Amino acid sequence: MFPFGTDALGYDTGMKILEGAKFTLLSVLVIAFLRILFSFVLAIPLAFFVPDRIRRILDQLLSSFYFIPLTIIAVFLLTPVLWEQLRMPGWEEYFIYTFNQRIWLEVFILTILVIPLLGSTIGNILALILKEDFIVGAHILGASKWRIFIKHVIPHLLPKLVIVWCQQCVQLLIIFMHLGYFKLFFGGTDVDYNPLIPDPPVSLSNEWSGLIGDYYNLITVNPSIALGPIIMFGIAIYAFQLIGEGFQHHLQTRHYKRTNRNRVLEKQILGSKTKSSFDFVHKRGA
Amino acid sequence: MKIIKKLLMQLILTIVSIILISGLPELIMNKNVSMYFNKIKDVCRDIFQMNQMTYFNQGKPRLFLDDIWSPYIYSLSILFGALLIAFCMAQLLTWVTLMLPMFIRGAIKNLLTFLESLPDLLVFALVQMGIVLIYKKTGVLVSNVASMGAEERIYIVPIVCLMILPFVYFYKMMILLAEEELSKQYVEMSLAKGMRRIYVLVVHVTRNTSEGIFHFSKSVLWFMISNLLLVEIIFNIHGITHYMYSDFRPEMLAACLILLVIPFFLLYALFEWVIVHFTKRGEWV
Repeated sequence: MFPFGTDALGYDTGMKILEGAKFTLLSVLVIAFLRILFSFVLAIPLAFFVPDRIRRILDQLLSSFYFIPLTIIAVFLLTPVLWEQLRMPGWEEYFIYTFNQRIWLEVFILTILVIPLLGSTIGNILALILKEDFIVGAHILGASKWRIFIKHVIPHLLPKLVIVWCQQCVQLLIIFMHLGYFKLFFGGTDVDYNPLIPDPPVSLSNEWSGLIGDYYNLITVNPSIALGPIIMFGIAIYAFQLIGEGFQHHLQTRHYKRTNRNRVLEKQILGSKTKSSFDFVHKRGA
Repeated sequence: MKIIKKLLMQLILTIVSIILISGLPELIMNKNVSMYFNKIKDVCRDIFQMNQMTYFNQGKPRLFLDDIWSPYIYSLSILFGALLIAFCMAQLLTWVTLMLPMFIRGAIKNLLTFLESLPDLLVFALVQMGIVLIYKKTGVLVSNVASMGAEERIYIVPIVCLMILPFVYFYKMMILLAEEELSKQYVEMSLAKGMRRIYVLVVHVTRNTSEGIFHFSKSVLWFMISNLLLVEIIFNIHGITHYMYSDFRPEMLAACLILLVIPFFLLYALFEWVIVHFTKRGEWV
């Protein structure tokens, strides 16, 4: 009857997972979108107005961010935001921020942490596009920077951003999972400071990272209870990865109709990864 | 000379950003900017006088540097071991894979996409359960699933846990890069000259992809340091991040992260120097 089992309080774990899915997935989509948006805004001046030499130096400096582990920093910064505190006189439990503030702060922190790296990555993609021959041609024909940006850069950039977005979603899911293991749940952790028999920290909204934190220690009782939410995370990650890969595949083969003869051609293209020499991106049907 | 200056800049920037980040909880908790700067001053003082820094162990203050060296070395050996094993295995298997026919390669790539999306917690849980299962069925304890205290050291389980996902990442990346490289003309040329495929693969293609792999390995390392924290807590290993998590103050975080970052930074500086020096392609590195 209960494929994922029931938890200590008798709730059906499968139903809880279903209920929590919307919070986790929506927040992941939104945060990944915000990350891309802000990095993109940051990357535009970086690619258009900053000379190559300075950008390369900036790039190398930013690569120092590779050595700051994201999970540790996220756990460290979010603990005061999400963990319920105890005010000593009167044993009053309280959060420093209200529910909405907590959510916005978490979104903000998770966004801002990757913007330096992501911004420079997108900036480099942009700069590579700007070096293509057709941009030089458009420039010589008298196109303004704005027109080059809208007509020539955006159509090439957007598909790449979709792929980056998928990667960011995967990364965010992993971070949520880690945060869940450290019992920092999206929207706040309800901690019971009862000195006698404290209830375990409870997630306020049943979202998945909360379920991981609640259930991981039950792995000794019945593995399926603990593994349920984790497997859900796995499925979500796999889905995002397939979206990214399928999209990439589509980009490489989109201007060939699927007939038997072309399928052979398609394989050759995928095998050799050579681009066709020239075509208008924004006039393609797909 | 120029490269040394650049690396020094990077190192200083890393340390500064770690210190700046470590003060942030003060800002979040008190919503007061001046307290944030005070905290940063405190952290800086502690970092510069690390030999006098104290931390709390079971409620008692103890000298930080007295206690940290042995868990530090332990954590580093786990990390380095995992990274090295993952890299070598991936490289060997890549060579084997690229000798196989196309359709098997396609299947392997699909499998790798699937493995890549395994969440790390699931991997840890499965390793734990697997060891228990083997013990139940055969009575052979492959390794302890958790260390009992600060004295006991387990190596196999944490290294296996840490290396599985990086191995998959490396493997996939190497196959993709090598396939791209194999479609270039010099490969065709050397094959036409009669060189063996394995020779071209091992000598030329590997050398040409090494730079891309080197840059990719940075992000793998980024991922591994985060995982180290999880592994040390799940398996109750008393390594450096365990100390850090048990006393989660800004000073402690800054000191531990800086200690953890420096060896990898030096290693990468060395590799980068080697690449610049021997390939003479400094601008593109």
